[in-house]
Amino acid sequence: MVYTKKHPALLIMGVVFIAIAYLAGSGAMGDVIGYLNNKKYVGEMVGMGYAFGIISVVVGAWHLWGKHEEGNADYYLSSVAGAIFILLIAMTVRWYLAPWIAVLSKGLGPVMGAKYLHQVLGLNYVVLGILAGIITVNVFKIPEWAENGVRLSRLGLKTGVILLGTLYSLAELQSLGKLSAIMVGFFVLGSVGMVLVLGRMRKIPTSMGGVLSAGMGVCGVSASVAAAPVVQAKAVEIAYTIGTILIWGVGCMFLFPIVGHLLGLGYIQFGAWAGTGILNSAQVAGAALAYQPDGIETLKVAEIFNITRVLFLPIIVLWLAVWYVRQEGNEDVEKVNVGKVIFEKFPVFVLGFILMFALSSTGVFAPAQHYKGKFFDSSIVKPSKMMTDEQIAKLTAEIDKVKRADRKAALDNLIENRKIVTVEEWGVIRGLHNARVLSKDANKVLKKATKAVRHTAKKIKKFRQWITLLFAFGLTGLGMQITFAAMRQAGGQPLVIGGIVGTTKAVLSLIVILLFVRETI
Amino acid sequence: MPIEKLIIASHGTPGARAAEDAALELCAEFGASLHHLLVVPDLWKGMMGDDWLNNAVTQARFGNYVESELAREAADEVERLEERAKQSGISYTNEVHLGKPAPCLLASCEKGGYDLAVIGSPRPKKSEGLRSRMDLEVLVRSLPVRLLTVPHPDR
Repeated sequence: MVYTKKHPALLIMGVVFIAIAYLAGSGAMGDVIGYLNNKKYVGEMVGMGYAFGIISVVVGAWHLWGKHEEGNADYYLSSVAGAIFILLIAMTVRWYLAPWIAVLSKGLGPVMGAKYLHQVLGLNYVVLGILAGIITVNVFKIPEWAENGVRLSRLGLKTGVILLGTLYSLAELQSLGKLSAIMVGFFVLGSVGMVLVLGRMRKIPTSMGGVLSAGMGVCGVSASVAAAPVVQAKAVEIAYTIGTILIWGVGCMFLFPIVGHLLGLGYIQFGAWAGTGILNSAQVAGAALAYQPDGIETLKVAEIFNITRVLFLPIIVLWLAVWYVRQEGNEDVEKVNVGKVIFEKFPVFVLGFILMFALSSTGVFAPAQHYKGKFFDSSIVKPSKMMTDEQIAKLTAEIDKVKRADRKAALDNLIENRKIVTVEEWGVIRGLHNARVLSKDANKVLKKATKAVRHTAKKIKKFRQWITLLFAFGLTGLGMQITFAAMRQAGGQPLVIGGIVGTTKAVLSLIVILLFVRETI
Repeated sequence: MPIEKLIIASHGTPGARAAEDAALELCAEFGASLHHLLVVPDLWKGMMGDDWLNNAVTQARFGNYVESELAREAADEVERLEERAKQSGISYTNEVHLGKPAPCLLASCEKGGYDLAVIGSPRPKKSEGLRSRMDLEVLVRSLPVRLLTVPHPDR
């Protein structure tokens, strides 16, 4: 089969990218950029515009005029059109649509404290990109020439997660890993168990209970896809379950950031909540980026939860397989091959994440002692980041509250030098901040002081940019795979049981997070 | 008006089974042949949703599994109606398509030369079942044959 379609679309998209790059680079777009206040994206417009524009024009010319024969070259090059199609939509949203909505929203004035409507609703480039994807597939349909490449969005997300591995430090990974293992472990097992109990009470078939519990408990559609053949779910049961999870996931992606803003959750708290409470893993990433569009701290937390969930997947699938065989207890049911289930369901991309983390720890990307992707250097603190007299006064007024000798000494040195001088003192001041010994205002000063001496390595900065772009690309592409026809199938017992378990999980996990998870630096 | 060739669109839902009863009665009365159109709704194309965590092996296994389930269901339906037609001495043929019900029925009617198309009416609201209805607006605008809509048994 020949996959490449003779179509001018890729060539045209290439010309559009090059035009954007030229207009942005030459300043011809100055007025538009000024109005949209999106000057920070000009570099991307020029760099990406030329790079992807040239690739698209070259490959597009081959699509249109080249001779296509069955083979690897045809298969892989045919996917470029779909990938560029996603990229063009994602970048149009990021560079123009999202800033335009921000301008309109700011015109309305603040609606919640100092926050504008688009911030409260999380209407940034990620959420709008997913929406653009959903609209594309449901209203206009994916063009035939793009179908093969749209699937590359999965690769984009997996690559994004692998690159995220560069941004964690060992201490951070340990603390987030512990938190996610506890939270995910409790809520995964809890919701799987709850579905099975409710299923028995409501007398649903074993296979339906199996596929629903995987979806509700582990990682949404992905878990249902993995579990359905194992528990031999019927077609209608799969449709009900996946419809329910999709509709729930899309709803949560909008609802969670609003609730998070209303409750004033920190990045760790929100990332942990989204990572536990949102059923579908794609929407976890979407909600995290919706909550913090200009940084990836929330995404980092949420993705650790996603990774923990996906690591639970083989175990849960195995458990369900054994459970199903026991429940059915007849000879028609296939016996469980433990090794095969574990091997097939293991998420290989997690190994890539671990590899990147290991490489990062050796100091390849940033000095080896980096913390959360940033390294310590007190010799390059900008004058504007040195502590002011007012800040010094705040700390001096509260110094008596500090009882521990090491903390007192570090604070004295900070006040004297107007900055943190040694990495050891930086650790002590960070501990003092996290212990919340001082007032809120004084703690803010400490936070600023710790931030002033931490710097992002150039390579890490690049990684951050690429991660954001890969997630924007991947989530827009995934939006193109969410069909209303599939969502409309939400119904039957899965909707009832899913509603009960999903709500319980979201509310309980929020309570646990509010009670036990604190923001630290 | 005589009926020689009749087409029924059915996937075995309660509404469609009511339509089958009517179609079989008409075929028996007029000595007509029965053509069974079974449409597997194309909503299944989007049923992998936004799964991105699974590897290609798991996704392929899911795709093959769903495909085999749908094929088995379709085969069961075909066998069931064929058996009923056989019992009544009615000549029976069938075709199975993946797509949207209305366009598939239109396409079959255009090439089949049928005298009558029989369908079930949409199920009452709140009844369970896949959300894949015959789009009557699309159908009645272009259908080249007479159409008989049989009331749902729950009405």
